[in-house]
Amino acid sequence: MTAKSSDLLTELMEEMDPKFLEFLKTKVNSFIKWDLVKFFHDNPNTADTAEGIARYIGRKTEAVKLELEELVIDGVIEANIINGIYIYSLTKDEEMRKFIGYFVSACEDRHFRIKAVYHIIREMRRLPSSMT
Amino acid sequence: MERVKTGIEGLDEMLYGGFLPRTANLIEGAPGTGKTTLGMQFIYNGIVEYNEPGIILTFEEFPQQYYRDAENFGWDFRKLEREGKLKIVMTSPEVTRIDMERVGGIIEDSVWEIGARRILIDSLSHFCRLSKEPFEIRSIQYSFINALKREGLTSVLTWESPLILGGGRGEIEGIAFAVDSYILLRFVEMESEIKRAIVVLKLRGSGHAKDIRRFEITSSGIVVEERFEEVEGIMSGSPTRRMAESFIEAFVRKGAHVGL
Repeated sequence: MTAKSSDLLTELMEEMDPKFLEFLKTKVNSFIKWDLVKFFHDNPNTADTAEGIARYIGRKTEAVKLELEELVIDGVIEANIINGIYIYSLTKDEEMRKFIGYFVSACEDRHFRIKAVYHIIREMRRLPSSMT
Repeated sequence: MERVKTGIEGLDEMLYGGFLPRTANLIEGAPGTGKTTLGMQFIYNGIVEYNEPGIILTFEEFPQQYYRDAENFGWDFRKLEREGKLKIVMTSPEVTRIDMERVGGIIEDSVWEIGARRILIDSLSHFCRLSKEPFEIRSIQYSFINALKREGLTSVLTWESPLILGGGRGEIEGIAFAVDSYILLRFVEMESEIKRAIVVLKLRGSGHAKDIRRFEITSSGIVVEERFEEVEGIMSGSPTRRMAESFIEAFVRKGAHVGL
């Protein structure tokens, strides 16, 4: 391991704000979820099916559907069933909305982003492949 | 007669005061002619000048695009949303179709939440993807327009025409009967320049200006200017000078140059 890569690893392992770390470990533990959270933050009044949302973020519907369902369980996204069709939108919970806002703002910092990517990759490796 | 003013310089004059309340108003034009800008300005002016909250329902453009575009005109849409006077909703025609005929739907909830009086639908042409049957599409669009009226909203509905220059009719013909007013925006090629033209084709229940006018998209939004003079065939996209003007140009003005 070179000195440079060792420095980077040390930096990545540095402590992240525990609230953000928890959020990354338990809620935004995949890149699709990260994209979804960012999308709903930027477009907070969106309400659409998994197909529509997958189209907006340029991902496959099957993959997005699974991640949306998990975000619903975690209270980040809401699902309404109309005529048997699932319509997803951002949670109305003000606390969660605020926290998502802090997270998206923090992601504007490159160092934070690198750390977040590192933790997501770690989480994805830890979880069974069907969940990533 | 009560009017819903657009607040757009020159347009209210063409509409003899504005749209009629709780009506559906179609704006047709090619991409880039200014349909969405006109709609955003209708919503913005409604909020800041006439205290009428508004909704923007988008089927394609991301809300963040509206925030950014509005900012370029000096309209702070994020602030208006925070103040509960505006709501930019993104969804699909598929969801809207099932949503509009139930209690507590997206539009109904939003109207109730901010007390909306105006709505921009950008764009109604996206309903065409719901079916291959023209009759069914028309039926969905009629139901949607009726649902907006039920909510007491005055709506601006955009419609994208496929041709950049001139007029493409196509699927518009059916819906033109369902709406209360119909405004056309066109690019016009004149003297190696692209200009913009606006005309009110229909305003149910009221008179309106019949002339074709120039308009510009300025740093503060759309400004409707004077009528086109001395040319004809403007809506074809490639107008020609009138016979009299051509005669004057060919013989009188050119003659003056050579000292006749």
